[in-house]
Amino acid sequence: MADSPFHLFGIRHHGPGCACSLLQALEALNPDCILVEGPPEGQALLEWLRDPELVPPVALLVYDPKDAREAVFYPFAEFSPEWQALRFGLERGLPTRFFDLPVAHRLALDASSEPLVEDLEASETAAEDPEEPSEAGTEDPDNEQRRDDPLDWLGRAAGYSDGESWWNHLVEERGDGLHLFAAIREAMTLVREESGDDHWTAHRREHEARREAHMRKLMRQARKEGFERIAVVCGAWHVPALAELPSATADNALLKSLPKRAVEATWVPWSYPHLSTASGYGAGIASPGWYEHLWHSAPERRAIGWVAQAAQLLRAEDLDCSSAHLIEAVRLADALAAMRERPQPGLDELDEALRTVVCQGEEAPLRLIHRALVIGERQGRIPDQTPVVPLQRDITERQRAVRLKPEASRKTLDLDLRKPTDLARSHLLHRLSLLGIDWGEVQRTGRSVKGTFHEVWTLQWEPRHALAIIKAGRWGNSVEEAATRRVIDAAEHADTLPALCELVDRLLLADLQAAIVPVTRRLEDQAAVAGDVPQMLGAIPPLTSILRYGNVRQTDSGLVAHVLAGLVPRAALALPGACTALDDEAAGAMRAAIQGADRPLRLLQDAEFEQAWSQALMSLAESATCHALIGGLAARLLFDAQQADLETTARRLSLALSLANDPAPAAAWLEGFLNQSALVLLHDPSLWALVDDWVAGLSEEHFVRVLPLVRRAFSAFAPAERRQLGERARRPASVAPLAMADTAIDLARAERPIPLLQRLLGLAP
Amino acid sequence: MNQILRQHAEQSFAEELDALKQSDNRQRPPNWAMSPWAVATYLLGGRLDNGFEVSPKYIGSRRLIETAIATLTTDRALLLFGVPGTAKSWVSEHLAAAVCGDSTLLIQGTAGTSEEQLRYGWNYAELLSKGPSTQALVQSPLMRAMEQGKIARVEELTRIPADVQDTLITLLSEKSLPVPELGTEVQAVRGFNAIATANNRDKGINELSSALKRRFNTVVLPLPSSADEEVAIVSKRVAELGRALDLPAEPPALKEVQRVVRIFRELRNGQTEDGKTKLKAPSATLSTAEAISVINNGVALAAHFGDGVMRAGDIASSLIGAIVKDPVQDALVWREYQETVIKERGDWKDLYRACRDHD
Repeated sequence: MADSPFHLFGIRHHGPGCACSLLQALEALNPDCILVEGPPEGQALLEWLRDPELVPPVALLVYDPKDAREAVFYPFAEFSPEWQALRFGLERGLPTRFFDLPVAHRLALDASSEPLVEDLEASETAAEDPEEPSEAGTEDPDNEQRRDDPLDWLGRAAGYSDGESWWNHLVEERGDGLHLFAAIREAMTLVREESGDDHWTAHRREHEARREAHMRKLMRQARKEGFERIAVVCGAWHVPALAELPSATADNALLKSLPKRAVEATWVPWSYPHLSTASGYGAGIASPGWYEHLWHSAPERRAIGWVAQAAQLLRAEDLDCSSAHLIEAVRLADALAAMRERPQPGLDELDEALRTVVCQGEEAPLRLIHRALVIGERQGRIPDQTPVVPLQRDITERQRAVRLKPEASRKTLDLDLRKPTDLARSHLLHRLSLLGIDWGEVQRTGRSVKGTFHEVWTLQWEPRHALAIIKAGRWGNSVEEAATRRVIDAAEHADTLPALCELVDRLLLADLQAAIVPVTRRLEDQAAVAGDVPQMLGAIPPLTSILRYGNVRQTDSGLVAHVLAGLVPRAALALPGACTALDDEAAGAMRAAIQGADRPLRLLQDAEFEQAWSQALMSLAESATCHALIGGLAARLLFDAQQADLETTARRLSLALSLANDPAPAAAWLEGFLNQSALVLLHDPSLWALVDDWVAGLSEEHFVRVLPLVRRAFSAFAPAERRQLGERARRPASVAPLAMADTAIDLARAERPIPLLQRLLGLAP
Repeated sequence: MNQILRQHAEQSFAEELDALKQSDNRQRPPNWAMSPWAVATYLLGGRLDNGFEVSPKYIGSRRLIETAIATLTTDRALLLFGVPGTAKSWVSEHLAAAVCGDSTLLIQGTAGTSEEQLRYGWNYAELLSKGPSTQALVQSPLMRAMEQGKIARVEELTRIPADVQDTLITLLSEKSLPVPELGTEVQAVRGFNAIATANNRDKGINELSSALKRRFNTVVLPLPSSADEEVAIVSKRVAELGRALDLPAEPPALKEVQRVVRIFRELRNGQTEDGKTKLKAPSATLSTAEAISVINNGVALAAHFGDGVMRAGDIASSLIGAIVKDPVQDALVWREYQETVIKERGDWKDLYRACRDHD
């Protein structure tokens, strides 16, 4: 091969040692053309590498504009050999090309072969799942090499626990030059020969063969164009297949008339957590942060630099870490490396030294180091002018306007909705979540102690959001426009009331003024024709919460009040009818619906609503035809709302549990009445007395008959609650109230400490 | 017949230590009896180039032992930390025996340990008759270790009162021990270092000050990670102890060892090995050392009162004794375990009956 123009460099994706050696090798070779494993669709985007605003880690995203779920990411870090090779080529103005199989074919092939997928391994089908647009699903080609990593075989043969540490030690943590690639090639040739074809499925093998055929095709093309020193940078695994170029016929046959899809490509920011294997990225690496450190620091300063970083981190977290600690940690790491016969400490040694010296054997600080240093939290940047969907540009602008930076680390944000900036932030986050871009997640709102004007979000920007933005791009070019259209569209397709109500709720949160009228109109229409009582009931809680909390957000909730005014009386009227002839399952659902609607309605304190609602419950409680579970619940709710006095309720209880009734309905009634709330029973003396009196008043025969029913009704409570109930029952029923009544308060004595208390509380004059 | 109840590590494993020294041709730190690699081999076991088999003293993570040995080559002292019964003292003794051939420079820490025991005391008769002199000085093991460049051991460091612990702070950083009464000082010779052990579970411990912690590298010895590892530890130690204590019984049945280890692990983890049943955890620590002692008891019972073969009945009483430390709570825990787990296991009928007999 002495006269061959090709120089093959087998690398491992994202290996800093490889990148370092590769640069040396390229310097020595001075190539006139560089071929890099990567999608040809990204060719036009390579120019952006000259832009200083493009800061790795970034990923090349190739997607189908018609269906953005079909997409492939090619992530690059600064220390990725491919990245360095690309930069090398561009800086010198060399023809630099991607030569992998075009994604256009890959996507089309994956789609067309779907019916065949059934006989493949389950894990593979899962990895190709089109429903899941995350990095795990569609990504760099090597996700299967991880499961069956040839490096693992070599590593184990060399006596290491896994391929990762073997490779780290031999390649990434050393500064070998040109011999490295010859060695890698030899090793891979051997592994490929040994492994044969067994370790991949037929489908996968075919795919790999096509990729390699395409690589060879472009290599031939480059040779034909007359280049004399062609550097070929590809995954180590492919090197043996590219070493010889057989006649073009076989390759052309493989590549003939492949199906094709229209695809587009762009740069998206990537992050270290997503580069790590923990994120599910197939060609991921265990320690991106450590690799970056390897790439930047000279070998002799490596350990010191690393522990110094760790110290900074620990001090920022208020953990004790002095320079003396660091000196000892470096010494211990050196001693460990010497014991293990390594030329210098690697990540393992440094980890153990930090654990022993600095963390005093504890795990927690070490986990912090692992998250923040070993993996790292670095996030890439792309230039503003990169070709992106207009929506992406608008989102970036909005993010800037409200001063929210997309960050890969998880962050909590407490918004005070009375402040204009925070309100704008809240609107933006709600709009994005309406568009399916779940950058932020609401932790809790309103009901916390802080009051209704707080909203707590957890923010975490993930690269997959770039895909979600592209997908949402079809709704419009600005966030507001897109979200409005999306909501109106969703409203038109929503056919249940609760879903519509939730939409109304969300659009008010997102402050989409333009959507309010069409969506509430749609809600009114639906509400007017809806005959399904559980649905109507289900619509009540979200609508009431809009009414109650609307003011804080300065949204117009008058429309909602109007809808509610029509909905509540209709639901109340239809309720008794809807509760007859229910089977147990439907009764359970109805119970949940009634319970869900009861509390918000009472909280509204609207006399009209309350009256209608109580009337409905009253007729349920007295009805003989309604399902017993509902009857019991209605009796209880009325009792709680003080719409029915003790006597009436006691009568209802006794009636429902009389001997003449069938046991099953009686038990259901009791269950509904107890309403899954042992605590209320425990702490409400009148309710307790009610149940207690009833049990005490039973004749022996009756008691024996109803005992199983009572047991069944109580079985839904937690064991601790049952125990407390038992303890409560052991005490005489009337002890607590009596004790209070007996204590005659001596006013003169009670007044004595008041001056002192006033002084303590600062109330004294 | 040797009259000593328990021999020091350097005596019972003298042969192994000699063989290691002979075949050891690697670099030795000053005053070390052998190289760090040889120390690691001694602790973890292995086969030497000449075919000599070294038995493992510690079964567990290689990395921990390597870190411990590497620490002894640096300025810092070594602190072995962990719950009771995780072989802290055992590792400390063997490290000292391998590194300097002497594991006897030992301070047994108690709440009554005084400063004199760490630094030096006086022979008062001598002091009164002749005045302060080197003859009247009573050296502490620590002082002797400094003079001879050996490893000093401090057991149960956290039991020593905090003000006495402070003695160690400057001693370990300055590596010198002044004797103002004589106007001299002892400066540590190369090779000196200290190994302390401490447990982090017990009540009534004196928390180490951060200044003292900074003088130590801390290695936490964990409970065995897998059941197999624990069975190996228990069987091995019981066999060795049987030899040391002259127990004439058969080697303990592996089945019984496995059962005891399993019971201990399940109670410690609060659930059965198959993860199907949740269990209450007893107040006792249930370390490997406890398992060893249960088996040892069983072997002794079988040897002296039975036919020499250890059976369920022989371990039942010590098993219950090890688990039930609190007569009320633990008894309940044990009863539950007995009725819900032991009873249900088909091949554990004999153990169930034996345990029932003790109720």
